[in-house]
Amino acid sequence: MIATIIHKEFVSTLRDGRLWILGVFLLAIFIGFFLASTHELRQLREEKHSVGLTAKEQWNTQSVKNPHSAAHYGIYVFKPDLPVAALDPGLRPFVGQSLWLEPHKRNLTRFSPSTDQILANRFGQATTSFVLYALLPLMIVALTFNSVSQERERGTLRMLHSLGIAAKPLLFGKLLGLLSAFMLVLSPALLIALLLLGQNFSLGLDDGLRLLASLVMFLMYYTIFAAVSIAASAFFQTSRVSLFCLLAFWLASVFVAPRLGAVTAETFSPNPTASEFWESIKTDIAQGLDGDGNHEQRAQAFEAKVLQEYGVSRKEDLPVGFVSLNRQHNDGYSVRVHELHFDGLRDNFALQQHLTHFASWLGPSIAIRSLSMAMAGMDLAHQRDFEDAAEEYRHYFIDLTEDWDRERSHGTERSAKGQESDWRSVKAFDYSAPKIDFALRAALLDVMVLICWLAVAIALLTFSAKRLTP
Amino acid sequence: MNTSPLVLEAQNLVVNYKQHRAIDTLNLSVPKGCVYALLGGNGAGKSTTISTFLTFNRPSAGQVLIEGQSPHEQPDLVRSKIAYLPENVALYELMSGLENLNFFCTLADIHISREQAGQLLSDSGLQADAHGKRVATYSKGMRQKVGLAIASAKHASAMLLDEPTSGLDPSAANDFAQRIRAAADSGMAVLMATHDLFNAKQVADRIGIMKQGRLVEEFDAHTVQHDELEQKYLAHARGLE
Repeated sequence: MIATIIHKEFVSTLRDGRLWILGVFLLAIFIGFFLASTHELRQLREEKHSVGLTAKEQWNTQSVKNPHSAAHYGIYVFKPDLPVAALDPGLRPFVGQSLWLEPHKRNLTRFSPSTDQILANRFGQATTSFVLYALLPLMIVALTFNSVSQERERGTLRMLHSLGIAAKPLLFGKLLGLLSAFMLVLSPALLIALLLLGQNFSLGLDDGLRLLASLVMFLMYYTIFAAVSIAASAFFQTSRVSLFCLLAFWLASVFVAPRLGAVTAETFSPNPTASEFWESIKTDIAQGLDGDGNHEQRAQAFEAKVLQEYGVSRKEDLPVGFVSLNRQHNDGYSVRVHELHFDGLRDNFALQQHLTHFASWLGPSIAIRSLSMAMAGMDLAHQRDFEDAAEEYRHYFIDLTEDWDRERSHGTERSAKGQESDWRSVKAFDYSAPKIDFALRAALLDVMVLICWLAVAIALLTFSAKRLTP
Repeated sequence: MNTSPLVLEAQNLVVNYKQHRAIDTLNLSVPKGCVYALLGGNGAGKSTTISTFLTFNRPSAGQVLIEGQSPHEQPDLVRSKIAYLPENVALYELMSGLENLNFFCTLADIHISREQAGQLLSDSGLQADAHGKRVATYSKGMRQKVGLAIASAKHASAMLLDEPTSGLDPSAANDFAQRIRAAADSGMAVLMATHDLFNAKQVADRIGIMKQGRLVEEFDAHTVQHDELEQKYLAHARGLE
């Protein structure tokens, strides 16, 4: 029986002019956005690659100089974007994609947006993903708001009831039939998107899996909207009331929930301002963390320890460069303090992201936005992974220059020199985005919220079926 | 006196809508091969009676029976034994008559070939060139014919008609009446709610007049004169009796 209903709904939906008009309209918007974002992403990737090579070459061709001075020249590193980012630029507009790596200080220009912009600005951008998470559900609402109420108004529901058709297979048949027709209309857009991605980027297995996971998640998302719409259409007596309620649900899910979630997150777990953040790092380095003593006390203790270690009474008599040793010691402490504060800030970002789900009771859009960003590798977790890799690289090349400085000088003299062959021997920053399992782990809460919503939508459909009267 | 077995029965049926009594202690029976026409003004309870047999309403007291069994206790009875034709046969506009017939038949667990479906539509009076056209282009009479084809395909033992000739032109109404008569002659029990006295006298075996939920008068349609029927009907409608 349900197969017959699915088939009938599939055929009827395809014959319904609304589907084609909306489908063509949205296809045009989707392709337009996707072409623009694919072009932008390709250009960005080329620019990052080109600037990255130039920056490393500039590093390589430094003149003969003190290794530490060379380190101060610094190196730019860039976060490589995955091809899937063409679907969803995620946090790209809000965080810096390049990092300036230099001694003594961990630079994260991306932290300024966290203080200058509100969290709500991370949502609601007019992108390909906006079509996917905002406009397509609206199309589903437009197609389904009267799927049952129209049958009631026209009398076909009484006909079906007189045949003894149970409401549950009727509503679930409608759901599956509509989704099948919807997917058929959507498939050209998916194919074109895949072709464009294949033409512009070299797609690997992980990219394919990320695309597949995105497709599955969005299908779940659309199923939620379709099920809620059909349930509303069955629950309310008229199409007008059903449409009104569904539009309210769509608005709440797509626009209100992310902002409400952001406000909740900022209220319960606010970020420090940029000045507070940097000031606290400066203070902790100067004053020392718990029990470590202030900067002078730590410097005196370190000097005493080094002198004892080398069996000399004066710094000038040390067989290695004390300036470099001392710098490394200070940098080590600075790294510890930076790490503490940066981790705290990033943990707060992650907590805020979880707190935004307090507004997920209004709809599943927060979850799909986060999931989409995670699959595109453009979420906080991927950003953090990149930052950690960049920080590790910073330690690598700073330590290397300090090694040269220390080994090529004695006592308090600053005579150590390095040359082009040294600079060239510094390995280039080589970073690959983590695989899909990382993305899925990072988005576990979002997946759970989406599954919960799917369960709620199915429950609503079942409830509406139980009380459906002709 | 028709001694055929009873197919449709209402026994002391009472149906209340909140505070309003829509059916008040109704007793009627429709044997096999009989057309029973329920006459009455708006709100008399004709459609509510039909709806109760279809389980759209639940009896507040009493019961309705289909071949001796309650459809409210055994809902599958509705599916297998009853065909229903409302005033406006509700079909899916974006599907053809043939597709509608196939759809409703499959849902009723009746599997017919395309040829059989075409034959059923033709037998119901729908012209062959209309079979494949979308129902959106059909007239009311054509929709009624698709409805009749669905009823025929079910081989139902009873047919419930709610104002079936309302809005049909005289020729289409006459054609429809003949098909209803033919269905009854083939053994079907027909319960028909109508305003159309002429149609009732033409097609029915028994006629009942309902007023404020009660069956106030019953006639043998073969013996009652049209004038007498009209006078009784109008008298009840005007509250003179």
